[in-house]
Amino acid sequence: MGIVIAVISGKGGVGKTTTTANIGLGIAQNDKKCVVVDFDIGQRNLDMLLGLENRVVYDMVHVMDDDIKLKQALIKSKMSPNLSFLAASQTKDKSVLDSDKISKLINELKDEFDFVILDAPAGIESGYEHTIEFADRALVVVNPEVSSIRDSDRAIGILDSKSKKVKDGQEVDKFLIINRIDAKMVQSGEMLNSDDILEILSIPLIGKIPEDKGIIDASNQGKPIILDDNSKAGQAYKRVASRICGEKVDFVDVESHKESFIQKVKGIFK
Amino acid sequence: MKTKQYSAKIFEIELENEDGFISFFDKNYLFFQNNLIIIHGQESDSIKNYLDSKNLKYVFNLEIPVQKKQKTNLESINPIKTLEEKKEEPKIEPIEKPKTNLKVLDKLIRSGQEVKLDGDLLLLNRVNSGGSIIINGTLIVTQVVDGSIRCNGDFMMLQASSKANIVFHDVEVDNKFLQDKLNRIELINNEIVITPALKETSWV
Repeated sequence: MGIVIAVISGKGGVGKTTTTANIGLGIAQNDKKCVVVDFDIGQRNLDMLLGLENRVVYDMVHVMDDDIKLKQALIKSKMSPNLSFLAASQTKDKSVLDSDKISKLINELKDEFDFVILDAPAGIESGYEHTIEFADRALVVVNPEVSSIRDSDRAIGILDSKSKKVKDGQEVDKFLIINRIDAKMVQSGEMLNSDDILEILSIPLIGKIPEDKGIIDASNQGKPIILDDNSKAGQAYKRVASRICGEKVDFVDVESHKESFIQKVKGIFK
Repeated sequence: MKTKQYSAKIFEIELENEDGFISFFDKNYLFFQNNLIIIHGQESDSIKNYLDSKNLKYVFNLEIPVQKKQKTNLESINPIKTLEEKKEEPKIEPIEKPKTNLKVLDKLIRSGQEVKLDGDLLLLNRVNSGGSIIINGTLIVTQVVDGSIRCNGDFMMLQASSKANIVFHDVEVDNKFLQDKLNRIELINNEIVITPALKETSWV
């Protein structure tokens, strides 16, 4: 039986979809069968980040409406045989979602895969509530800034009151990913440091991802940054994926900024 | 004619149930050895014999002029009155229970969550930005408050960040004074008084 992980953030633009794509691929590279599901009905974009842009024929709404079999809608990734993708519909909107259909779909996916990763839409409306409804775990993605933290706080509050696991008297395990950390700004005090964020949200940390300009290019090309061995963000995503798979990986400090000698010399002439 | 004035200790007691009376005196008769006991109720031989056996002085159904004390202004009566009150206390104490409606919560108040309460609240967690507490009683928060608080109780104890909005009896408290450590905020003569907790409080 697979584990359902919802990737949530509350606020938009903090890197939910990027995180989903990278972690999905990371888990697949750890030899686990993994499926990433785009739950942002009406606004499909996870397919682009995975390099599957024009391969979507059937989406999850077709599966939920029993038009086709699940296997026909699942798209195998070229980057890893363990990774599959289920697309969101672009023609329908979130009103087509209903709890029974989602429950059936997720149970089918759980039978097939070790990890089912759901990319939640931004905001806290019905689309979000349906995403978290059947989640076993949640990855909360925040940026080190106050509005992102407050929106995540709200999203966690809703998760703690509306998910099925909570209604059954259990708890959804929540893990925090701090995304887009700029070491320079943390050190100068302009950006919140991770201790402050952890204190506010009080959920365990699972990864810190440094800001990386390469992510934009990686997204545009449909190659998740985790494939780039020279990228710090890619390495950080790799560590997160290993931690999700149950490995113990030490945390790497991405918040202290060290200038090389050449950079220092450049700084003098600025 | 010779007159003498005494200031005596007098104890008044209502006699309703003889067994209860005797068992009460069995436990407490030592307190009454220097008192005059005035008993209101039915005279009976068994009570008389019992009190005689304990060497206690007593009178049945005697009206003492305590009520007139305000008019006569006799100072000597005052100690009697206070003693009476003190002596009667042990009789009342076991019946009365302290009334509290304190609620203890160990829950993080997240953004968008609101706690509304009529009684008193002890919160053992944070109030995050966007969370709020509206309370008519006394409030104590043991961790930092980033959200908003409306409190109408006797006092509040909390530590707030610069983002927080604290309103006490419809007056916004300047949270410049609430940072760094736990503070006690109370209303004295219609003025808000903030006293910082001097020692570092360690919560168990």
